[in-house]
Amino acid sequence: MTASAHNPYRPELATIQEIIQETPTIRTFRVVLNDEEKMRRFSFQPGQVGQLSVFGVGESTFVINSPPTRKDYLQFSVMRAGEVTQRLHQLSLGDQIGVRAPLGNSFPIEDMKGHNILFVGGGIGMAPLRTLLLYMLDNRQDYGNITVIYGARSPEDLSYGYEFDKWRTSGMDLVLTIDRESPGWKERVGFVPTILAEVAPTPFNRIAITCGPPIMIKFVLAGLKELEYEDHQIITTLERRMKCGIGICGRCNIGTKYVCVDGPVFSYEQLRHMVPEL
Amino acid sequence: MGSKTEALAKQFEKVFDDLELVIGWETGFDSLHATPAFIRQPSALGRLIWNPFCSHNLSGYLTKTLNATAQEDAKKIGICVKGCDSRSVVALIQEKFISRERLYIAGIPCRGTVDLRRLMRLKPSLKDVNTVHIEGNELAVETARQTHRFPLQDVLLRKCLQCRYPNPVLYDELIGEPLTPRVTEGQAPPFVDKLEAHSLEQRRVFWERELDRCIRCYACRNACPLCVCQDNCILESRMPKWLSQRSGMSEKFFFHMIHAVHLAGRCTECGECERVCPMEIPVALMKEKLNQVVKELLDYEAGLNPETQPPLLTFDPSETGI
Amino acid sequence: MSGTAYITHNELTSALERLSKEMDVWIPVETGDKKWGIQFSKYQPGKAPLLERQSTTLPKKVLFPQVETLLRFCYQKDVEDRSRVTIDLKDLEDMAPAMVFGARPCDVRGFLTFDQVFLNGLHKDPYYAQRREKTLFATLVCETPDSACFCSSVGSGPADQAGSDLWIIPIEGGYLIESLNERGEKLLPKMGKEATQDQIESAQRFQEKAANERVGEGDLTRYVRAFEERFSDKAYWRDMVSKCISCGICTYVCPTCYCFTITDEMKELEGERLRSWDSCMFHQYTQEASGHNPRPTKFERYRNRVGHKFSYFPDKYNGMISCCGCGRCIRSCPVSVDIRQIVRQLKEEAGDCVST
Repeated sequence: MTASAHNPYRPELATIQEIIQETPTIRTFRVVLNDEEKMRRFSFQPGQVGQLSVFGVGESTFVINSPPTRKDYLQFSVMRAGEVTQRLHQLSLGDQIGVRAPLGNSFPIEDMKGHNILFVGGGIGMAPLRTLLLYMLDNRQDYGNITVIYGARSPEDLSYGYEFDKWRTSGMDLVLTIDRESPGWKERVGFVPTILAEVAPTPFNRIAITCGPPIMIKFVLAGLKELEYEDHQIITTLERRMKCGIGICGRCNIGTKYVCVDGPVFSYEQLRHMVPEL
Repeated sequence: MGSKTEALAKQFEKVFDDLELVIGWETGFDSLHATPAFIRQPSALGRLIWNPFCSHNLSGYLTKTLNATAQEDAKKIGICVKGCDSRSVVALIQEKFISRERLYIAGIPCRGTVDLRRLMRLKPSLKDVNTVHIEGNELAVETARQTHRFPLQDVLLRKCLQCRYPNPVLYDELIGEPLTPRVTEGQAPPFVDKLEAHSLEQRRVFWERELDRCIRCYACRNACPLCVCQDNCILESRMPKWLSQRSGMSEKFFFHMIHAVHLAGRCTECGECERVCPMEIPVALMKEKLNQVVKELLDYEAGLNPETQPPLLTFDPSETGI
Repeated sequence: MSGTAYITHNELTSALERLSKEMDVWIPVETGDKKWGIQFSKYQPGKAPLLERQSTTLPKKVLFPQVETLLRFCYQKDVEDRSRVTIDLKDLEDMAPAMVFGARPCDVRGFLTFDQVFLNGLHKDPYYAQRREKTLFATLVCETPDSACFCSSVGSGPADQAGSDLWIIPIEGGYLIESLNERGEKLLPKMGKEATQDQIESAQRFQEKAANERVGEGDLTRYVRAFEERFSDKAYWRDMVSKCISCGICTYVCPTCYCFTITDEMKELEGERLRSWDSCMFHQYTQEASGHNPRPTKFERYRNRVGHKFSYFPDKYNGMISCCGCGRCIRSCPVSVDIRQIVRQLKEEAGDCVST
């Protein structure tokens, strides 16, 4: 074996091209791989993730939240939480990071064709949903009506606000909510699961995709069951502490499944057959 | 023999109605290994044993597995302690991690417990032990074929060879008669003195050789009843990060120093850190040294009196000379 | 037909000496002066391998070091424009060939688990692959099982040759070395002279005796479903695991435990990305940045360990148990947690198994 053989631990070097301050704690980074050829050939499916490296600090996993149909950069939304994300937030335009991507599985975009779609997102959980949402807007004719329920703690905590008008005019129903009343807020108020019950999109020919904090997912799943969604009509993404991202290091298992390679996308049907260790 | 074992079970039977469970020892995967037992039904009290293989200090479970603080309507936790173990219980009470009212303590005067690895070195083929007990200055190990006798000097845990507290300092019931300490103060130089007789350079070589084996499994920390930070240990904190994952001498040394210094004036010398070390590193020596310093500076020994305030847990602005 | 060589006890160190000129030769030696434990170290002149009992720590580190460098990186400031910083990245480095001499079948069998995960998965691990490729195992047929051993209960045994290249059989006056494959065969001439027919027969008898030995009670290979059924039985895991102190010994001395962490270390402009052993017994192992921990206590963590070895792994890899029955997790455990008992009792009626 030579040192030049493919090494899945070796990140591609990439440059930060654009930074968007989404919320007080979330920044979106648009990056391009330094190797132009690799950037041009880069392909992925909505839902797949990448490991971002700040060399000297470490790596962390983020969903690629630009859609595969828009290829001039790779976008990652990063919420400041641990050491890697704190450091990422300190970086500026032109700074070098490492990218290992694409990793993991993806949303079943083929199976979703011809269906109505419901997105239910909370906080940073909107990041993976955005990938799929934009992909669907770019392939609008393949999908039925699209409803998005997106909630955050306060108006300031909603990411991608600058795109909301475009989403709405592209023919989807966007329902925004915040946890508590806020001056000037004209949309809904209440936790995401409550709003889900209010909006109550019919399960007829529909796939629901939900992503958010574990506690929100728990109640959204219950809410969808209440609305009589079948297990296979519900899709979610899971989070686990990851290291290698390639199914080797062992820590992200839920029973026999590894979130890094068998996920992050799981249907509720799959979840129900996994060990209850979320 | 067995009389203390029976007395132990009988005593707990008498009081079991008031107890949530009893923590003691039972026979482990073979006749040479005792193992901690958590007994929740009086009918299982017969599993309890007491013999020189019962080396484990069970007091750590009071904070790390159970919650032995005072709680309304909560039954008591029964626990078996040797002299050294009882000092850990006292220290935990002093530091308010557990409360005296929640405990029913069976105190066992102890002549010493066995260092299995020393025993195995002397007799690697030893197995199928029927009984084990201490007779005078010998450990008598009876198998089906014969009784083996070993000088205590050669088979006891290092901490037991310098034990000054064979009798529990805190208990509800004493199982058996109090014993005379093997070592009294001022007698027989403790191991620290022996090591300190060497030059600084010799000691550096000694510690480098010993610590080189450390695999950073953290058993010494986790077994320590006074290592109370549990999942929040600064050694594993990522922000800030004090220790790298490298396995060089500086990391190993730093880890053991952090562990030791956090136990200054708190360590009750139960020797668990050393007993559990899979690599046979005499890690307790560091804490013994610190205890010597604390004794000299502050005239204090940890875990003797639940009423006293440990000196390093208080702050007096008028203090001088520190 | 495999080749053989005979080494007398006296010639053993000189044979190792010869081999060590060409490769790193790892042998079991005492961990320290007057210590009971044995660990694997690189051969040094005059050091004879200690073969009379199982080592405390493993030769696992030869293929999977406790700490290894995955990447080296260096930030370089542009000479013209100091604000422009580029990164120089180096990865896999060439490793020296190696031999592990005197491990036991259980120590070597552990690498079959590694092979599945590091070589045969979606992604191949080039670091492990290189070491695996370059390392030979001369393994000792085992005649000294103790009360913690249970290799026969997990489908192995004291004469299990899986994963080995050469086979060491103690016979009168020394050892018969038998090659088990071509790469082992090549080394035979360097190890000793050809064995006589008598020696071969004597070795065969020894080997057969060991192969017929049953080490450990019962069969622990069919517990995939039993584990699943017991998964949510809180009282079971409480009773089985209460005494665990959450240290990392069982994982660090386990031939099949391969989980690792990756961390960066930096000094000024240079740094390394390290891979190091991690332990699923540690709280931090699954601790997420958000504060959420899917396995917050030792009960969930130990359950995962049992599940990984006796349920998840065989479920995923055609019934292959991720345990070699070496017994180290039992023997080295400070409180004698006995994984055999925990697995065996999975099948007992709830209530019966639970210590009362």
